[in-house]
Amino acid sequence: MDYTKQIQDIAGRLFSEGKIDIFIGYRNTGFDENQVPVLIHQYKDVDQLLFTDKSVFNLANYLKYEHTRNKRVGLIVKGCDSRALNLMLTESQVKRENLYIIGIACEGVVNETGEKAQNCVECMMPDAVVYDELLGSATGKREYQVNADIRELDEKTLTDRVEYFEEIFENCIRCNACRHSCPLCYCAKCCIDQETATLFHGANTTSSAFHALMTWSLHLAGRCVDCRNCEKACPIHLPLHLLHKLNEKVIYENFQENLAGMTEGDRGAFYKYSLSDPDDFIL
Amino acid sequence: MEAEIKEKIVSMEKPHMEAPPDWQPVIMGILCNWCSYAGSDLTGTSRIQYPPNIRIIRVPCSSRVDPWFIIKSLQTIADGVLISGCHPGDCHYISGNYYARRRFLVTKKLLNFVGFHENRVQFSWVSAAEGAKFAKVVTKVTEDIRKLGPLHLYKKENS
Ligand code: SF4
Ligand code: SF4
Ligand code: SF4
Ligand code: SF4
Repeated sequence: MDYTKQIQDIAGRLFSEGKIDIFIGYRNTGFDENQVPVLIHQYKDVDQLLFTDKSVFNLANYLKYEHTRNKRVGLIVKGCDSRALNLMLTESQVKRENLYIIGIACEGVVNETGEKAQNCVECMMPDAVVYDELLGSATGKREYQVNADIRELDEKTLTDRVEYFEEIFENCIRCNACRHSCPLCYCAKCCIDQETATLFHGANTTSSAFHALMTWSLHLAGRCVDCRNCEKACPIHLPLHLLHKLNEKVIYENFQENLAGMTEGDRGAFYKYSLSDPDDFIL
Repeated sequence: MEAEIKEKIVSMEKPHMEAPPDWQPVIMGILCNWCSYAGSDLTGTSRIQYPPNIRIIRVPCSSRVDPWFIIKSLQTIADGVLISGCHPGDCHYISGNYYARRRFLVTKKLLNFVGFHENRVQFSWVSAAEGAKFAKVVTKVTEDIRKLGPLHLYKKENS
């Protein structure tokens, strides 16, 4: 998967026709094989752009910040990123007419060890669902499968799971990078911050990490698109996908809802209901 | 005896932690204004006895309950949480409890996944006419939590 040439051409064309103010893409870090997002403002920088299977980050995240608000923006989205973008459109966070979207029919990106990332192996919808231009050939929707790590953890006893998760919450340093890197966490005043300041005195304790990560993951239940931008941003490499994938599994098994953001206007599983939803856990 | 110990290890959060002798469970009750809160009022005015372990908060609707409230309760005073709203079809705002029902299920499963016993967080539908049911529900939840013992997970350290 290498669309470097096409993307440089498209970005160059958009700048020379004056259709965009900013282009969000990927460039080399300059010191290793990895890539970082880059915001390009003028035609002469277009040759920095590239796109390969190392283009891991979700660029839709940059649309929630002040410097791209109300500007005309071009950006690249893979399948998962495009679904996050669709949710942002649905939730009125960006205006469609301000965007020029290059969709990718994705073949999967790699993790740090160079293998295909887990979310890409399990990916249900690799094609971009919202775009002005699609690169690659669409392959369509795939079957839902339960995440491999969730299956493993589900077999453990409660006491084992307590120990497993206590270690995760202990290691979190409360940098909030996970929240800031999620395109769907755009609240100007996040409720977690209020409590970190009052209830937990801003300390990076285990309890404050539990409070933050659990609240965060439940605010994303039914909306998370499994792009794993949060996990890539975490300096401790905590397996944050466990929380999101468990929510996804419960939602799929009980409400037969999956794949948030497939169509514009679909706000996710928590914004609908059915009269026949499971009721047996309620007294 | 052995089976009992094994059961404890499989189903307890911290099997090695014992409850202090005079310990009483604290239940956080989050009740909707239109049905369950009125129901609990009826329990009182009809002089039905129920355990004094519950601390009640009133919310406008069961769908006002952000999972955040449950997490905060468990991290501060509560050993267990009871959330109660109107029966399906009775919601004052027509469909609030249907939305809430989905959220409750996911919250319960996620908390169980990270290590909370499934009885720590419970839900009920109690109408304004069901004073006796409210007493029964509170009794059941209190006894469930008493069996589980004090909650030791992720309590805020500094107060
Ligand atoms: S999750 Fe799917 S769309 Fe996203 S990078 Fe992986 S294969 Fe591509
Ligand atoms: S964690 Fe919740 S309140 Fe905070 S930014 Fe995300 S969605 Fe908003
Ligand atoms: S929570 Fe993580 S995986 Fe889910 S949408 Fe946000 S950044 Fe992507
Ligand atoms: S990015 Fe990682 S360390 Fe930082 S707050 Fe999130 S989970 Fe904790």
